[in-house]
Amino acid sequence: MSWKLFNLLLEASLMTIFVSTISILIGLVLAILLSAANLSGIRPLQWFSKFFISFFRGTPLLVQLLLLYNLLPVIGVQIPSLVTAIIGLSICTAAYQAENLRGGFEGVPTGLVESADMAGFTPVQTFFHIRVPIALRLTLPALINEAILILKASSLVSVVGLIELTRMAQNLVASTFMPLEIYASAGLIYLVINLVVATAGRQLERRLPGVGSK
Amino acid sequence: MGFDFDVILSKQDQLISGIAMTIFVWVVGTLLAALIGFIVATARRYGGVLVDKALTVPIEVIRGTPFLVQLFLLYFGGPYIGLSLDALPAGLLALSVYGAAYFAEIFRAGYQSVPPGHVEAAECLGFTRIQIIRNILLPEMALLVIPPSVNMAIILLKETALLSLITVPEMTMTASAIGSQEYAFVEAMVLIALVYWVLVELAGLLGRFAEKKLSRYRLAKA
Amino acid sequence: MSDNAISVQHLVKRFGTTTVLDDISLEIPRGQVSCLIGPSGSGKSTLLRCMAFLEEATDGSIFIEGSPLGFVYDGAGKRQRQSANDLRKVRSQIGMVFQQFNLWPHMTALGNVSAALRRVRKMGKAEAEEKAMLQLRKVGLENRAGHYPSQLSGGQQQRVAIARSLALEPKIMLFDEPTSALDPELTGEVLNVMRGLASEGMTMVVVTHEIGFAATVGNQISFLDHGKLLFTDAPSKVFAKPRHPRLEQFLDTYLDRGASTLI
Repeated sequence: MSWKLFNLLLEASLMTIFVSTISILIGLVLAILLSAANLSGIRPLQWFSKFFISFFRGTPLLVQLLLLYNLLPVIGVQIPSLVTAIIGLSICTAAYQAENLRGGFEGVPTGLVESADMAGFTPVQTFFHIRVPIALRLTLPALINEAILILKASSLVSVVGLIELTRMAQNLVASTFMPLEIYASAGLIYLVINLVVATAGRQLERRLPGVGSK
Repeated sequence: MGFDFDVILSKQDQLISGIAMTIFVWVVGTLLAALIGFIVATARRYGGVLVDKALTVPIEVIRGTPFLVQLFLLYFGGPYIGLSLDALPAGLLALSVYGAAYFAEIFRAGYQSVPPGHVEAAECLGFTRIQIIRNILLPEMALLVIPPSVNMAIILLKETALLSLITVPEMTMTASAIGSQEYAFVEAMVLIALVYWVLVELAGLLGRFAEKKLSRYRLAKA
Repeated sequence: MSDNAISVQHLVKRFGTTTVLDDISLEIPRGQVSCLIGPSGSGKSTLLRCMAFLEEATDGSIFIEGSPLGFVYDGAGKRQRQSANDLRKVRSQIGMVFQQFNLWPHMTALGNVSAALRRVRKMGKAEAEEKAMLQLRKVGLENRAGHYPSQLSGGQQQRVAIARSLALEPKIMLFDEPTSALDPELTGEVLNVMRGLASEGMTMVVVTHEIGFAATVGNQISFLDHGKLLFTDAPSKVFAKPRHPRLEQFLDTYLDRGASTLI
């Protein structure tokens, strides 16, 4: 396999990294909103949050993407495949991240919440200034894990027509008939990206201060 | 616009065979994955430092790469190294090997959770290694490995959808085909999404039930 | 056959560069209670674990009722691992009781005691449980047969563990600090069971901090310090004054625990 082909894969992996990063971040924001809905005490919001998390964790991402890709034109929405991919991945990871955050929110010491209440914080202020930062810190390892899962899952957005690492590999295989070399190279690139993320995550985990005594 | 589920449901025979295929590859794939994972974890425990180190490489490679790439590598790349498999066996093999890497880690944690003294006590009483694994280690780790195993089974169920991309006639592929033929793709996807959802919830329920049954004698863990 | 149940010859155990057991030779007389005492880290538990082949000695040999344990020397005088089968055969003469009891949490008391009868001796369930009940009765726990370890007190767990070892009718019982993990008020019931065993003539090797037990029940006491066996003698001689200076120092640390009054 030539360097030219490998370089094409490397370039496509930038799209993989881009889509994954954006989706993780949007997913995180959505996950915090889902958590807020869940902690709001408002029944319909809680039901929606529970349904959302259960449905998107309970169905294959591939089916979600196929559904989204075919649903949008039917309801008259025309958007580029990049946006479709980001929407699909963000919604899916939001459900997983919300589930991870649930454990984090449960781990927030009640004393901290109570002292914020006593200091005159509104419930919304307490949520965003006390609960969210602590829950995020507590679930950082799960977030890093989720980032790796999404990097791998992003290989599926090839079905909505976005040219990222896996789709590029498929295209190259179709024109060169070297599936062994090309898919192995693609796998290697994923592996390296994930090793970097995992290592960086461990470093970050070590550097950040812990959250009091548990 | 307007959704029409009747045209999909009129193809129920095809749908049911797709669902049956999904359940088949899921159950067989998960059982094989658990079995291979258990053998790998056992080899790592008893095979010495070299075997232990050597086995971490494939485990980390499998866990660090997308299942889709592994599947394509095996199915499309396999014939170039004399491994020409039909879609179904290729899909099953890929699913089992992929799951095995995760199950190997689950069982490794399980082995580590059993206090060495419990094994020493059995050794002193003359238990063979196989008896120790079967009568002491496996039952003792059961409670610990059930939740992650159920979780893994659920992940594998969702991964079976990818087998549609190498033309295994499971339910995502069947539904896509019907959906395209009948111009009712969205309806077809919604329908099978619901089937996956029900299966996932059932698996979770079953897992929690097994966990509850097992934990009855460990009220206060000694 | 000699009068010794266990013979330890020039035993050496090293962990990396640390020598834990330094050229230990010791005879354990049949039908008697031998106690191993010494400060923490003196190597007494390691020595006992070597006698059960839970630790592999670096050098030297151990004979159980005349048979080599764990290693055999071939014609050329080279030390080799015993086959798993031979090891099991030699080990079957030994029962081991651990500091942490090590009962299997997924089996009842009866299940723990009958497991080896069923798996190792291949007895039927009914026969194995009948024999196991006899042992539970012996340690006074027949009414706890259906309890899981988590439902038993520490003292009861240790008595079940003793019954579990006795079930295979070993010739020698090894005890590794059997009361160290127990609350003080629970040590008595375990020591009483051990006294009963001693009076029946069981060969026992006991690693213990219970100096009183060693002095009153022991027939021979070995004192270890920093991996060396300083001496082995009858309790009356060991504790008679003037004592070995290291022993004197060691006993001083136990004066607070009231041990001196028992000697």
